[in-house]
This record gives sequence, structure tokens and C-alpha cells, in this order.
Amino acid sequence: MSNLGGVPYFLVPFGDIVIYFTPFTAALFILALVFTVLAILSRPERQLDIVFGGDAFTAKETPVREMKFRRFMAIACGLATMGAMVTGDIFDFVLFTSLVGITNVGIVGAVKNRHVQEAAFQYGMVALAATMPLFAGAAMVAATTGTLSMLELSAMPTSQVPLMVKALITLGVMGEGMAPFYAAKAEMFRAPGAPYVIMCSLSSLLIFLRVIEVVLTV
Amino acid sequence: MWDQYSIGLAVVLVSAIIAFLALLREKDDLHRLLIIDLVEIPSLAVIALLGTDLAEALILPGLVVGIAELLALSQIYLTKEGLNDRRVKRLEVEVITRSHAPAIIALLLVAYGLVLSGFTGGAIAGLGVIFYVMAREKGERFELVEMASGITWAVWILAFFIFMFFPMYWYLALMLAAIAILLKVTAKLSLMGSMWGGRDE
Repeated sequence: MSNLGGVPYFLVPFGDIVIYFTPFTAALFILALVFTVLAILSRPERQLDIVFGGDAFTAKETPVREMKFRRFMAIACGLATMGAMVTGDIFDFVLFTSLVGITNVGIVGAVKNRHVQEAAFQYGMVALAATMPLFAGAAMVAATTGTLSMLELSAMPTSQVPLMVKALITLGVMGEGMAPFYAAKAEMFRAPGAPYVIMCSLSSLLIFLRVIEVVLTV
Repeated sequence: MWDQYSIGLAVVLVSAIIAFLALLREKDDLHRLLIIDLVEIPSLAVIALLGTDLAEALILPGLVVGIAELLALSQIYLTKEGLNDRRVKRLEVEVITRSHAPAIIALLLVAYGLVLSGFTGGAIAGLGVIFYVMAREKGERFELVEMASGITWAVWILAFFIFMFFPMYWYLALMLAAIAILLKVTAKLSLMGSMWGGRDE
């Protein structure tokens, strides 16, 4: 098999779901892995409010319990991203993508800040609405071609998946946190705790890179 | 050209568009959350239109992801609007609080769930347990239910490993998985029932 991502180094079959590592997916997987390890190891930042024109500043206290929850959610987000990077099954990819959406809400959901919670709620609604085109797209791939495996789909001489279905999947992934829907997400980054919040934007970036490969391959 | 699948797909997509239009017009957050739940249904319907065993296997994860996201959003809505202090009242009907009827109905449901076994059985048995917990205000022992749920989950995973690595013992694995998922779904649903009380943290 030869496709956009390059020739696979090796395949890991789990029944009919085949995980594959091409130079492209392996690079994305390693990036997600490194950031997850960073989120596990690093100590979270403490937000400082500096009084303009003076030396005074106030440090925001964040309870350890809240930080532990957010670290857990960041790790879950990293695992979901890693899964989405290497899976060779369209429906699996869609599930991992919506899981990234849930964990992104979870990372900032525990923050006791009204603005952040409002933003997380609005973003969560966009993400939840985006599961409709995502699942519909994946189901229509199975309906038109009879398979969900990217390996089998890429082996077909001409692409059997209608353009409309590819557009649905891309729209769904955009809803999980890419432009123009990213606007709903930007306000969430007021939340303190640097390594965990960065996981939100990194995961959407990686998912978007991967969906380009998926859409062009199948 | 217009076979059954295309007609079904057209109907589902039109209903999805109607739901999205409603979402555009609605301004209240709680109502939008409810409409989003409506949007989820067409997405499950598109999967169901496949009409194969695969569709059945795909609907379950789709449903679980949708419910998880909805639960997370409602939790955020509660904290956002500061609604945590409102207690939910239990059923104040004399027959339910005094007589033996709830226990008997719960027992029947649990027994029927045991006969059905598996996922459906777990859901029905769990419904019986929820009904009993809602009817009778008793001190619940969360740790016990959680522990049972965790152990049965481990048994379920063990059954999967037996399926994968020792396929000749498939009958043992099948029985382990069936019993474990029954107990697990029962425990999960009964926990959900207990949350009604709005415990003070």
C-alpha cells in the first residue's frame, strides 16, 4: 500500500480494526505522545495578575484537587489524540475525535471561573452538534463502499466515497475545534494551568492534520 | 434511484436540518442543550439506516459518546448557573413509601433481568434497583456498588482476553462476559438512581 502518508512501517491488527504507522501517522503519534508525557511530568503554572505600572502582583490559588482532575483529563485527551492519529478505521477515528471534544471540555470544565465555564459550555454545544456530521459521514462511508477500513478504501483504484461525505467528515472535525468554530474555544484559554490547556489546542491541530490525510486517502 | 436507503437518508437529513434551524433560533442555554439532544437522534438514525449487524455495533459507541458529552455539558450548566443547592424531592406517594409494592416490583424486574442476562438484562435489573432506591430513602453504600462495578468490569475485560488468546474456552468467556456486563450495567444504573438525592458533598 502506498498513499499520502507514505509506506507503512508496520500494521497492528485488532480484528477488523487495523492500526497503522506510516511516516505521517507515526510522526503525529509521537508528537501527541511527547505532549502527553509532558502533561504528566510538568508542574502546572500559576497565573499571576500584575498591577500595571507598579511592582504589585496577585497569584491565583488553584486547589490541588482541581489540578489533579485537569491532569487526568489532559492525559485522557492525549490518549484519545494518539488513538485518532494511528487508527485505520473511519468510525474509530470519528469516535476518537468526539472523545477529544469531550475531554477538551473536561480540561477546563473544573475551573471555577464563570467566563471559562460559559465558553466551555458554548464550545461543548458546538462539539456535540458536530458529532452529527461526523457520525453521519462515517456511516455513509460504510453505506456507499461497504467497508470502514482505510486500508481497503485506499486500495480501491478510484475513490468510491462521495465528495459530500468527505465534506461532512471535515465539517464534523472542524466543529470539534478548528476555525471558524475555534472562536467558541478561544475564551477557554483564560483557564490557568499551562500544560493542560495547551493540550486542547494541540489535540485539535493534530486531529485536523490527520483528517486531511483521511479525506485524501479514502 | 430512490431506493429505501435514499428516502430514509433524505428524511433523516431534513429532520437534522430542522433541528439545526431550531438551534439557530433558540437563545436560552437550557433549551439549546435539549435541542442538541434532538440533533443527536438523526446522527444515530443515519447509522441505523445501514441496517446491518455493523450498524448495531456502531450505534452503541455513538450513543455512549453522545450521552457522555450531554452529561458533561449538563454538569457544566449546573455549575455555571449555580444550581447545585437545589434538592430533588423523592416520590411522596403513600403506596410507594409505605407498602411492600416497590420491593416486589423491583424484585420482579431484577429476576426478569437475570433471565434476559447481558446488556438488556442489566438495564432492566438496574431499572428495578433504581425504582427501589427512588422509592425508599435508605443510606446507600456507594463504595460497595462501585467496587462491584469495578470488579465486574475487570471480569469483562478478562473474558475478552480469553476470547482473543484462548478461543477454545469460548463458552467460559461468554458466560463470564454475560454475567459481568449484567452486574456492571445494574451497578451503573443503580448509581445513576442514587444521584437523584442531590447529596451534600
